Amino acid sequence: MKWLQTRAQRELAEKIEGNRGRLYRVAFAWSHDAALADDMAQEALARGLAKIDQLRQAEHLSSWLFSILHRCWIDHLRLRREYLDEEALAELPSELPGPDGHVETQETVSRVRAAIAALPLGQRQVVTLVDLEELTYAEVAGILAIPIGTVMSRLCRARGALRGLLEPVSEQPRLRSVK
Amino acid sequence: MSHEKEFSDERLNAFVDNELGAQEREEILAAAAVDAELGQRLCALRASKELVSHAYGRVPAVRHKPGRRVSLWSGALAASIALVAGVLIGWQGHRASAGGAEPLAWAGSLFAPQPARVLIHLDSSQVDRMEEALDMTEAYLAKAGRAKVELVVNNSGLDLLREETTPHAARIAELARRHELLAFVACGHAIARYRNAGLDVTLVPEARVERTAVEHIVDRVRQGWTYLKI
Repeated sequence: MKWLQTRAQRELAEKIEGNRGRLYRVAFAWSHDAALADDMAQEALARGLAKIDQLRQAEHLSSWLFSILHRCWIDHLRLRREYLDEEALAELPSELPGPDGHVETQETVSRVRAAIAALPLGQRQVVTLVDLEELTYAEVAGILAIPIGTVMSRLCRARGALRGLLEPVSEQPRLRSVK
Repeated sequence: MSHEKEFSDERLNAFVDNELGAQEREEILAAAAVDAELGQRLCALRASKELVSHAYGRVPAVRHKPGRRVSLWSGALAASIALVAGVLIGWQGHRASAGGAEPLAWAGSLFAPQPARVLIHLDSSQVDRMEEALDMTEAYLAKAGRAKVELVVNNSGLDLLREETTPHAARIAELARRHELLAFVACGHAIARYRNAGLDVTLVPEARVERTAVEHIVDRVRQGWTYLKI
């Protein structure tokens, strides 16, 4: 227990525990599978606790945990997909349930989730980290280990796609008629 | 005048995400004041942001069934254990362990001949979670035979090991009687908090106390134990 003797380190361990809810929410936004999201959050927590002495700056805790969550997600996908490289994984088309024929009757949350589900994996990750967790582009770039320019282009494409998919929700038809 | 060309989508995204410097923000704000279409593009981006945030404001709670978590994520759990313990396991090993549909099947094989070591962590006094913690403990012991298992409680999870509150005293006693390598561990901080609040804490005789649950968990994980949070 020598390495955990200081109060700061003990508090850090408790903070890692305290991030479980955020990890779960983001994992759910990526996977749309509550059980899998719970597993990923759990795994990120366990890996974080195991590597706690590698975190030098406590203020970077959230980003650090999200980067671990990202690794968990990639590991999970690789287990299922015969070692695709990360670039290929990011462009994977969605396998999640998309909007169905009754989309008009669904509530807003369901519609938005369906639209997110339709995004390629890399775009889904970027848009949820930026919009849900309000992380900066630099933080997202660090978490996903990609250049900031890639964060921006994925975000751009994601929001462009969402705009198209969500037009009735975000009242786009009037806008488009102006063009 | 249209600013379609002047302001790229990436730049407008950066604007709504508060990624631009003061001068660039001023330029876009000034342009939007006289260009309705630019203003609408910004509104649409903001709406998209809010919709995404709103869509995951409340996510479904999940309570896994005993065995579910381990069978699903066994490869990755093994990865973290391998990392901590310094054991080298190739990806083939992961795939083999992840492929098995049988819950907990990996425990005996992956770490053989060394007995598996598992820490189960409960931090809630919710009835179903208490039961889940005991179910998980029992399922693990039943499957892994000589496994070392610790059920560690903190926060209101302490109620599971308090004589004053536990609905499972007989089950805990029976589990402890049948499995000599099973330990019930209570968080010393949680006990102190309870007592500070004026509550009596008498632990069931099978329980022991560690200074804090979190320290104990981190210690165990670093020793190579598998960590499962209920």
